[in-house]
Amino acid sequence: MQKSVFKKTIEIIIFIIFIFFLFAPLLSLGIWSVALRWYWPHTFPQEIGFDYWFQALGITKSLTLGAVNVVPAFWLSLGIAIVVVIITMAIAIPAGYALAKLRIPTFLKGLILILFLMPRAFPQQPVFLNLMLMFNKIGLTGTVLGVIFVHLVVGLVYAVWITASTFRSIPPELEEAARSVGASRLKAFFKVTLPLSAPGLIASAVFVFLTSMDEFTGTFFVGLPFVTTLPMTLYSASGSNIQFASVIAILLLIPSILFMVLIQKFLKAEHIGGMGG
Amino acid sequence: MSDNAKSELALRKSEVGVGVERPLSYNLPFLLLFPAVMAILSLYLYPFLSSFWKSFISKEGILSLANYEKTLNLYRYDVLFTMGVTLLSTLIATVLSILLAVYLRLSKGWITNIVGILYRLPIFLPFVVIAQMMRSFLAPHGIFNLFLAKLGLINIENPLQFFNWTGLTFGFVWKEAPFMVLIILGGFQMIDDSYIEAARSVGAKLPQIITKVLIPMNKTTILIAVTLVFCSFVGCFSFPYMLIGGKTPVTITVDIAHRVNYFGDYGVANALGVFSYIIVSFLALYYLRSMMRKGLYD
Repeated sequence: MQKSVFKKTIEIIIFIIFIFFLFAPLLSLGIWSVALRWYWPHTFPQEIGFDYWFQALGITKSLTLGAVNVVPAFWLSLGIAIVVVIITMAIAIPAGYALAKLRIPTFLKGLILILFLMPRAFPQQPVFLNLMLMFNKIGLTGTVLGVIFVHLVVGLVYAVWITASTFRSIPPELEEAARSVGASRLKAFFKVTLPLSAPGLIASAVFVFLTSMDEFTGTFFVGLPFVTTLPMTLYSASGSNIQFASVIAILLLIPSILFMVLIQKFLKAEHIGGMGG
Repeated sequence: MSDNAKSELALRKSEVGVGVERPLSYNLPFLLLFPAVMAILSLYLYPFLSSFWKSFISKEGILSLANYEKTLNLYRYDVLFTMGVTLLSTLIATVLSILLAVYLRLSKGWITNIVGILYRLPIFLPFVVIAQMMRSFLAPHGIFNLFLAKLGLINIENPLQFFNWTGLTFGFVWKEAPFMVLIILGGFQMIDDSYIEAARSVGAKLPQIITKVLIPMNKTTILIAVTLVFCSFVGCFSFPYMLIGGKTPVTITVDIAHRVNYFGDYGVANALGVFSYIIVSFLALYYLRSMMRKGLYD
């Protein structure tokens, strides 16, 4: 009995430490986003309010150093992400289907698998750097189109893996049954396989959407200084104004948490970690 | 054409139906894969390979090892720093995540349930948000120092400095350990309770259950998690850039950005990139091999 009380106490102490380290950094962001005046070493800000939120959201004008209206950056990020999702899924669904369902010579399949695994295994920054040099030659550096290409390659790898594992989980007998009663391959795909794999495909699309919204390294090289997505505004506010940076950071983390909570049960664990390099 | 001939033709068509489809079903996988493979070849593999090629081209445009010489002269210490911080962070994240996964696998109760839900939170946050979070949380006048001062652990006039390898390690473990828990716990849950009961019944204590049952039965899963985390640290740019970007020593990724932004020196930047490939090479090759096998034979 004595021992189990002791164990419970240890468990509760570790639990409190866990909660502190999990939430204190988040709390720090939250407090800073509403801190108008906060002098060291006061425990709490002397003055709190939503002034920086209003300024960042463009509701009130501001002349503060480092103040940015994040609304245009938000629309730009959203627009890029939507285009990236559409193109990526249009390319990834056929590729994932082929990898999961069709016969491909083993050697070739191995090569293709390696190609789609490499971006996960090797650092991507040197790739973005050389992509920038490539884009310099054809005038894509600093353009929205260039940034879309970068986000496309980042999202495509995950999209192909997730769609392939989704299609693999659909029993082939179902499609065969549809074809044995006269449906063409295309019809069997649209009437049987596609509806059954819809949850996985939607999860994959949401995942691509978030990688695009959060993408930093590629946009840093290919997009700056002309294409300022939301993560880029966070980067530039970070050095000059902690309140604005905190507001933008919170704006960025809300969709990440919201969407991932919704879709995580459709994703394999190893894919989830690929968020926002 | 008579009706008879027509029906015969139709019959023959249906007989050779398989044969007609064969060229299509032979080509179909390649048609479906073509756009994705082309995109990866041109937007990933070509720039990946050109980082090797460009690392051997000197400023004068000739083939030489000058960039590597310069890299070793200027950034030797940063390469070692990157390896050191990566090893330390990965080690801490691995130990913490295995312990947490063991706890979540073997314990029951309301605390376990809460931890089992909450620990996932950091996984979903992008590094750029984590960077800003740690910049404010770990700042000399940040909440963490304030907290330590209130507890009387440090002098408030002399706060701890975290904008160095310590903060980098802390932030990285904060994000990646939960991700490792997610993968490793998945593996632990595949092990049937009967194995653990059997080990208990022959007198195994908790440490033995961990080292003799749980870890050996999930070796591959754990190694994959370690690999992903190790490689993502070496390649992580936004977090070290925003946390310790203006200081020394920094990670390779920060040096690459400085080399490009301040000097336009792509040769040395690419040589640094090749160093980062070399650091991850062993684990990356292991990952490629085991994941390829899984993809081919599952």
